[in-house]
Amino acid sequence: MVTELPGGGRMTPVIVPPKGGRPRPGIAQLKRTLYFLSRNTLAIIGLAIVLFFVVVALFSLFSPLSNQSLQQYCSVTYGTNGTVGCQPVCTYDASSGPAPAANCYPTYSGNVGFVGPTVDLTHLTGGPLPLGSMQVSSGTNQYYYSIYDGLLKGSAWSLGIAATIVLSGASIGLVLGAIAGYRGGYTDEVIMRFTDIFLSIPGILLVLVIVASFAGYVQGLEGRMLLLVGAFIITWWPFYTRIVRGQVLVTREQKYVEASRASGAGTGRILTKHIIPNSLYPVFVQLSLDVGAIPLLLGGLIFLGFQIYPSPYFPEWGAMSANSVANLQSLIESCQFGACVFPWWQILFPGLTVFLFAISVNFLSDGLRDALDPRLRR
Amino acid sequence: MRMWVYVVRRILLLFPVIIGVMTITFAILSALPIQTHLIATFGASKIPYTPMVPCSDVGQPGNGQCRNPTYFQLVHQLGLDQPIWVQWAEYMKNSLTLNWGTVNYHSNAASAFSLTTSIPVTTVLGWYLPYTLELAALSLIIILAVALPLGNYSAVYRNRPIDQAARVMSFSGFALPGFLLATLVLFAAVILSGGATPTCNSNSTHYFDWYGSWPPFPQCANQPTWIGTYIQTSPTGFPTIDAILHGDWFLAGESVRRMLLPALVIAYGSVAGILRFVRNSMLEVLNLDFIRTARAKGVPETAVVSRHAGRNSLNVTVTVLGLTFAGFIGGFPIIEDVFYLHGVGLLLAKSIQPTQDFGLIFGTTLLFTIIVVVANILVDILYAYLDPRVRLG
Repeated sequence: MVTELPGGGRMTPVIVPPKGGRPRPGIAQLKRTLYFLSRNTLAIIGLAIVLFFVVVALFSLFSPLSNQSLQQYCSVTYGTNGTVGCQPVCTYDASSGPAPAANCYPTYSGNVGFVGPTVDLTHLTGGPLPLGSMQVSSGTNQYYYSIYDGLLKGSAWSLGIAATIVLSGASIGLVLGAIAGYRGGYTDEVIMRFTDIFLSIPGILLVLVIVASFAGYVQGLEGRMLLLVGAFIITWWPFYTRIVRGQVLVTREQKYVEASRASGAGTGRILTKHIIPNSLYPVFVQLSLDVGAIPLLLGGLIFLGFQIYPSPYFPEWGAMSANSVANLQSLIESCQFGACVFPWWQILFPGLTVFLFAISVNFLSDGLRDALDPRLRR
Repeated sequence: MRMWVYVVRRILLLFPVIIGVMTITFAILSALPIQTHLIATFGASKIPYTPMVPCSDVGQPGNGQCRNPTYFQLVHQLGLDQPIWVQWAEYMKNSLTLNWGTVNYHSNAASAFSLTTSIPVTTVLGWYLPYTLELAALSLIIILAVALPLGNYSAVYRNRPIDQAARVMSFSGFALPGFLLATLVLFAAVILSGGATPTCNSNSTHYFDWYGSWPPFPQCANQPTWIGTYIQTSPTGFPTIDAILHGDWFLAGESVRRMLLPALVIAYGSVAGILRFVRNSMLEVLNLDFIRTARAKGVPETAVVSRHAGRNSLNVTVTVLGLTFAGFIGGFPIIEDVFYLHGVGLLLAKSIQPTQDFGLIFGTTLLFTIIVVVANILVDILYAYLDPRVRLG
């Protein structure tokens, strides 16, 4: 088959269009990726677990609040005989004003996804630690909420925070990296030197510094979330900028970019149609890795003693696992008073959730890397 | 290009980065409210640190708001009323001349480390940096000892059980929260070792207690003279090296033994990245033509892997080393906090809690940054030494 080109030249088409339509290289590429992904058992397991968590998070957004189940608040004092005292508590809507009484706890009933202190379950354990509940220390007070509720409602918060941070960081990095890589010259120098400065501050130290400096000056849920997410985005964009720039440097030398430029396409069209779509795959891999790391890092922040959430029983996976570990020490010390219960469920369930999420995301990202990078497919 | 020209050029490139990081810390500092600086420097005051106060507070007639002379005097004393670029220049001058301020003795960190007087931040950092460096070196040795052989095995036996096992192991290290693993390891060690507070008896083998495994040298009446009040050691400051220098082999062994658990936790958490890199670079090298040639001419398979492929994939591994270093040193505050290791990370972990000590926060951050940048330069130089093409480029 020989086609007549408008300019009078002749060429042999490489792609034979399927019957009844023009070729869809994007769809074919997606099918190929899915095929390579489906041959990787670990990646499929990872994908299944990630999808499960996403479904749980969506479900939790529409499940009824359990704040109403709040009945009693147990203050635990490790006296000489491990005495336990329970008293009725009240809750109040934190957005409406200060606490009306001393033992009232903020619940943010207007926001989906908060848990309140749980009912007293001490009769189940015979000790001061309710089975299946999470212990939180706030000052000298210790109180409990249901681990099941916390993990369920925390799924929406954890996934939401992680997605917001990673997607914003990746968008900034994508734009800056594409500009730096494509323009080259001074633009490249300025952007990359700026990026290098941020990259040389190791790990989450910049997040630590920003949160530590400003945590005292923000109030309420919105302000604290903004600070937390903002600090992470500031720390995160340089990684994506460097990845995208490296990929763009390779992509812009390809023949199809040259062809597009030769046929008169402008910079914007070349960037959006050719360079960015073809530089995306390492971003996907990094993106999926980072989503899994964020609950771990949030847990680390809580563990170091930051009060980044408006309520001590804020349901977020990282915070839950950090609180459980921080409690462990005081709980074991309490053994010498004869009130010894090892709270394995407080450590196991939040820790397992964070671990499962991070490792499944890792498997998925590893599978994606193999499926998207033709060099690793061999 | 000669090697030393490359080295000098690489070291000169350090300064823009350091100045940039200092500018970031300056930006954060100048975004803080002025009251914070005043309280941090002069302590809490009876008269609030605001420009306008009730007239009765400053002893003036009237019931309204009056100008607060103390506020303006203190603001002027700190130079906060000057233009922002003057403040920046002053900040850079002090930072670059290692004048990083003094420890605020009202802060949480000061009480945690019993720093009662206004000690310069750089002095305190100098005491605790050797501990962090020793820990970093030990973790790096463990990471390399695991990642290099395991990565090569994974590449040679690709997609076989050993590759999958290595993959699962390294990913689980990445996915386990560091604080959780560290606490559980510490508690297991306490229970297994019979857990007790370290005693001064030099033959005691109780290494761990609930609060951590460090410091290695408990404060004792018969404490050696080369250990100072803040557990800083002389003459080098590196506890293990000093113990060896003074011929105290028991304390040297003790120091390494106590460092081993935190180092293992750190290594387990960050072995994943470098393992992947070693595996992939080895895979790429194994597919090259000269490997096929070597096989074809009858070189034994072990020699092909170790001598032909191993040497060539080492170059890539060296570059990853720098990246890994930056990654795992960021986790030090948490691990040092759990094991109560007297390092820069613990200093940071204590100084970010209220009452914060901004001198220590920015000092430790800057120090960590410098460690990473210097490590990257060393890696680059090593890389240039291993691969002459880099020097010429």
